[in-house]
Amino acid sequence: MPSINIKEQEYSYSEDEIIDFTEGLVGMPEMRRAVLVPLPDFEPFCWLASMEVENMRFIVVNPAEIFADYKPSEFAILNESETITLVIVKVSSDWRKTTVNLRAPIFINKESNRGVQLVLTDSPYRLSESLPQN
Amino acid sequence: MLVLSRRKGEKIVIGNAIVIEILTVSGDGVRIGITAPGETSIHRHEVFTEIQEANRNAETVLGELEKTSLEQLAAFLRVNQK
Repeated sequence: MPSINIKEQEYSYSEDEIIDFTEGLVGMPEMRRAVLVPLPDFEPFCWLASMEVENMRFIVVNPAEIFADYKPSEFAILNESETITLVIVKVSSDWRKTTVNLRAPIFINKESNRGVQLVLTDSPYRLSESLPQN
Repeated sequence: MLVLSRRKGEKIVIGNAIVIEILTVSGDGVRIGITAPGETSIHRHEVFTEIQEANRNAETVLGELEKTSLEQLAAFLRVNQK
Protein backbone atom coordinates (compact mmCIF):
# COMPACT_ATOMS: atom_id res chain seq x y z
CA MET A 1 0.00 0.00 0.00
CA PRO A 2 1.40 3.45 -0.85
CA SER A 3 1.76 5.99 1.89
CA ILE A 4 1.87 9.75 2.16
CA ASN A 5 3.91 11.80 4.57
CA ILE A 6 1.86 14.43 6.35
CA LYS A 7 3.66 16.56 8.88
CA GLU A 8 6.30 13.91 9.48
CA GLN A 9 3.84 11.06 9.88
CA GLU A 10 3.23 8.32 7.35
CA TYR A 11 -0.32 7.48 6.44
CA SER A 12 -1.21 4.68 4.08
CA TYR A 13 -3.90 5.03 1.46
CA SER A 14 -5.07 3.07 -1.51
CA GLU A 15 -4.95 4.32 -5.09
CA ASP A 16 -8.72 4.25 -5.43
CA GLU A 17 -9.08 6.75 -2.57
CA ILE A 18 -7.31 9.50 -4.46
CA ILE A 19 -9.60 12.46 -4.98
CA ASP A 20 -9.41 14.23 -8.28
CA PHE A 21 -9.81 18.01 -7.98
CA THR A 22 -9.80 18.82 -11.67
CA GLU A 23 -9.77 22.57 -11.00
CA GLY A 24 -7.83 22.45 -7.77
CA LEU A 25 -9.11 24.49 -4.87
CA VAL A 26 -10.13 28.10 -5.42
CA GLY A 27 -6.96 30.02 -6.23
CA MET A 28 -4.90 26.85 -5.78
CA PRO A 29 -4.94 25.07 -9.13
CA GLU A 30 -1.95 22.97 -7.98
CA MET A 31 -4.16 21.03 -5.57
CA ARG A 32 -5.17 18.51 -8.24
CA ARG A 33 -4.99 15.18 -6.49
CA ALA A 34 -5.46 14.67 -2.80
CA VAL A 35 -6.24 12.11 -0.16
CA LEU A 36 -8.58 12.38 2.79
CA VAL A 37 -6.98 10.90 5.89
CA PRO A 38 -9.03 10.48 9.08
CA LEU A 39 -7.27 11.38 12.31
CA PRO A 40 -8.42 8.89 14.95
CA ASP A 41 -6.77 10.87 17.76
CA PHE A 42 -8.50 14.03 16.63
CA GLU A 43 -11.84 12.66 15.49
CA PRO A 44 -13.88 14.00 13.66
CA PHE A 45 -11.05 15.92 11.97
CA CYS A 46 -9.26 14.68 8.88
CA TRP A 47 -6.33 15.72 6.75
CA LEU A 48 -6.95 16.71 3.18
CA ALA A 49 -3.48 16.41 1.72
CA SER A 50 -2.20 17.15 -1.75
CA MET A 51 -0.37 14.28 -3.42
CA GLU A 52 1.93 16.66 -5.26
CA VAL A 53 2.52 19.73 -3.15
CA GLU A 54 4.04 18.97 0.20
CA ASN A 55 2.78 22.00 2.10
CA MET A 56 -0.80 21.71 0.92
CA ARG A 57 -2.22 20.06 3.99
CA PHE A 58 -5.58 21.11 5.33
CA ILE A 59 -7.49 20.09 8.40
CA VAL A 60 -11.06 19.50 7.29
CA VAL A 61 -14.24 18.36 8.99
CA ASN A 62 -17.74 17.35 8.07
CA PRO A 63 -19.60 20.58 8.95
CA ALA A 64 -22.51 18.59 10.36
CA GLU A 65 -20.23 17.68 13.28
CA ILE A 66 -20.13 21.33 14.34
CA PHE A 67 -22.97 23.16 12.65
CA ALA A 68 -26.08 21.01 12.66
CA ASP A 69 -28.04 23.58 10.65
CA TYR A 70 -25.49 24.16 7.92
CA LYS A 71 -27.13 23.80 4.54
CA PRO A 72 -25.07 24.77 1.52
CA SER A 73 -28.19 24.01 -0.41
CA GLU A 74 -28.02 26.29 -3.41
CA PHE A 75 -26.35 23.45 -5.25
CA ALA A 76 -29.33 21.33 -6.08
CA ILE A 77 -27.13 19.40 -8.49
CA LEU A 78 -25.58 17.59 -5.57
CA ASN A 79 -27.03 14.31 -4.54
CA GLU A 80 -26.54 14.34 -0.79
CA SER A 81 -26.28 10.59 -0.34
CA GLU A 82 -23.43 10.42 -2.83
CA THR A 83 -21.59 13.48 -1.61
CA ILE A 84 -19.14 14.08 1.18
CA THR A 85 -19.25 17.68 2.36
CA LEU A 86 -16.19 19.11 4.08
CA VAL A 87 -15.16 22.50 5.36
CA ILE A 88 -11.61 23.73 5.86
CA VAL A 89 -10.59 24.38 9.44
CA LYS A 90 -8.13 27.10 10.34
CA VAL A 91 -6.56 25.74 13.47
CA SER A 92 -5.51 28.41 15.94
CA SER A 93 -3.11 27.74 18.78
CA ASP A 94 -6.00 28.79 21.02
CA TRP A 95 -8.68 26.25 20.18
CA ARG A 96 -11.47 28.75 20.90
CA LYS A 97 -10.14 30.96 18.11
CA THR A 98 -10.24 28.20 15.54
CA THR A 99 -12.48 29.05 12.61
CA VAL A 100 -14.01 27.15 9.73
CA ASN A 101 -14.69 28.28 6.19
CA LEU A 102 -18.40 27.82 5.64
CA ARG A 103 -18.43 30.08 2.58
CA ALA A 104 -16.36 27.79 0.37
CA PRO A 105 -17.16 24.16 1.22
CA ILE A 106 -15.59 21.19 -0.52
CA PHE A 107 -17.75 18.51 -2.08
CA ILE A 108 -16.51 15.05 -3.00
CA ASN A 109 -18.51 12.61 -5.05
CA LYS A 110 -18.13 9.21 -3.40
CA GLU A 111 -18.67 7.28 -6.61
CA SER A 112 -16.36 9.14 -8.93
CA ASN A 113 -13.97 10.49 -6.25
CA ARG A 114 -14.07 13.85 -7.91
CA GLY A 115 -13.90 16.89 -5.70
CA VAL A 116 -14.63 20.57 -6.06
CA GLN A 117 -14.55 23.62 -3.85
CA LEU A 118 -17.56 25.82 -4.45
CA VAL A 119 -18.15 29.38 -3.35
CA LEU A 120 -21.57 30.09 -1.86
CA THR A 121 -22.47 33.47 -3.23
CA ASP A 122 -25.23 35.52 -1.63
CA SER A 123 -25.09 33.32 1.40
CA PRO A 124 -24.95 34.24 5.07
CA TYR A 125 -22.11 31.77 5.62
CA ARG A 126 -18.75 33.21 6.51
CA LEU A 127 -15.19 32.57 5.48
CA SER A 128 -14.11 32.52 9.09
CA GLU A 129 -16.93 31.21 11.21
CA SER A 130 -16.18 30.84 14.90
CA LEU A 131 -17.26 27.77 16.78
CA PRO A 132 -20.56 27.82 18.61
CA GLN A 133 -19.57 28.85 22.12
CA ASN A 134 -21.50 26.50 24.35
CA MET B 1 -3.35 42.09 -21.67
CA LEU B 2 -5.59 42.07 -24.69
CA VAL B 3 -7.84 45.14 -24.76
CA LEU B 4 -10.99 45.20 -26.89
CA SER B 5 -13.60 47.91 -27.25
CA ARG B 6 -17.21 46.74 -27.20
CA ARG B 7 -20.58 48.46 -27.20
CA LYS B 8 -23.75 47.50 -25.42
CA GLY B 9 -25.15 44.28 -26.90
CA GLU B 10 -21.82 43.20 -28.36
CA LYS B 11 -20.04 40.03 -27.37
CA ILE B 12 -16.64 38.46 -26.95
CA VAL B 13 -15.92 34.75 -27.37
CA ILE B 14 -13.18 33.11 -25.28
CA GLY B 15 -12.05 29.66 -26.33
CA ASN B 16 -14.74 27.63 -28.03
CA ALA B 17 -17.44 27.82 -25.45
CA ILE B 18 -17.35 30.99 -23.37
CA VAL B 19 -19.31 34.02 -24.52
CA ILE B 20 -19.31 37.33 -22.71
CA GLU B 21 -21.93 39.92 -23.56
CA ILE B 22 -22.04 43.56 -22.54
CA LEU B 23 -25.65 43.94 -21.36
CA THR B 24 -25.85 47.48 -20.06
CA VAL B 25 -23.47 50.33 -19.42
CA SER B 26 -24.31 53.12 -17.02
CA GLY B 27 -21.76 55.57 -15.70
CA ASP B 28 -18.75 53.54 -14.56
CA GLY B 29 -20.83 50.39 -14.07
CA VAL B 30 -21.20 47.58 -16.60
CA ARG B 31 -23.53 44.58 -16.53
CA ILE B 32 -22.02 41.54 -18.17
CA GLY B 33 -23.69 38.31 -19.23
CA ILE B 34 -21.55 35.18 -19.30
CA THR B 35 -22.40 31.94 -21.06
CA ALA B 36 -20.04 29.08 -20.24
CA PRO B 37 -20.04 25.30 -19.83
CA GLY B 38 -21.45 24.14 -16.51
CA GLU B 39 -18.11 23.05 -15.07
CA THR B 40 -16.51 26.46 -15.59
CA SER B 41 -16.15 28.33 -12.35
CA ILE B 42 -16.81 32.05 -12.51
CA HIS B 43 -16.06 34.40 -9.64
CA ARG B 44 -16.01 38.09 -9.00
CA HIS B 45 -12.30 38.74 -8.68
CA GLU B 46 -12.51 40.13 -5.15
CA VAL B 47 -14.41 37.04 -4.01
CA PHE B 48 -11.88 34.79 -5.72
CA THR B 49 -8.92 36.44 -4.01
CA GLU B 50 -10.71 36.39 -0.67
CA ILE B 51 -11.25 32.62 -0.87
CA GLN B 52 -7.74 32.08 -2.21
CA GLU B 53 -6.35 34.01 0.74
CA ALA B 54 -8.50 31.99 3.17
CA ASN B 55 -7.26 28.74 1.59
CA ARG B 56 -3.64 29.85 1.84
CA ASN B 57 -4.09 30.88 5.45
CA ALA B 58 -5.66 27.54 6.28
CA GLU B 59 -2.69 25.49 5.10
CA THR B 60 -2.04 23.86 8.39
CA VAL B 61 1.02 24.41 10.48
CA LEU B 62 0.58 21.69 13.03
CA GLY B 63 3.06 22.54 15.74
CA GLU B 64 2.68 21.40 19.32
CA LEU B 65 0.38 24.29 20.19
CA GLU B 66 -1.93 23.58 17.28
CA LYS B 67 -1.92 19.87 18.06
CA THR B 68 -3.01 20.54 21.61
CA SER B 69 -5.58 22.99 20.32
CA LEU B 70 -6.99 20.42 17.90
CA GLU B 71 -7.11 17.84 20.67
CA GLN B 72 -9.10 20.23 22.86
CA LEU B 73 -11.37 21.03 19.98
CA ALA B 74 -12.04 17.35 19.27
CA ALA B 75 -12.77 16.78 22.96
CA PHE B 76 -15.08 19.79 23.00
CA LEU B 77 -17.04 18.40 20.05
CA ARG B 78 -17.33 14.95 21.59
CA VAL B 79 -18.70 16.41 24.84
CA ASN B 80 -21.14 18.58 22.93
CA GLN B 81 -22.54 15.65 21.01
CA LYS B 82 -23.41 13.71 24.11
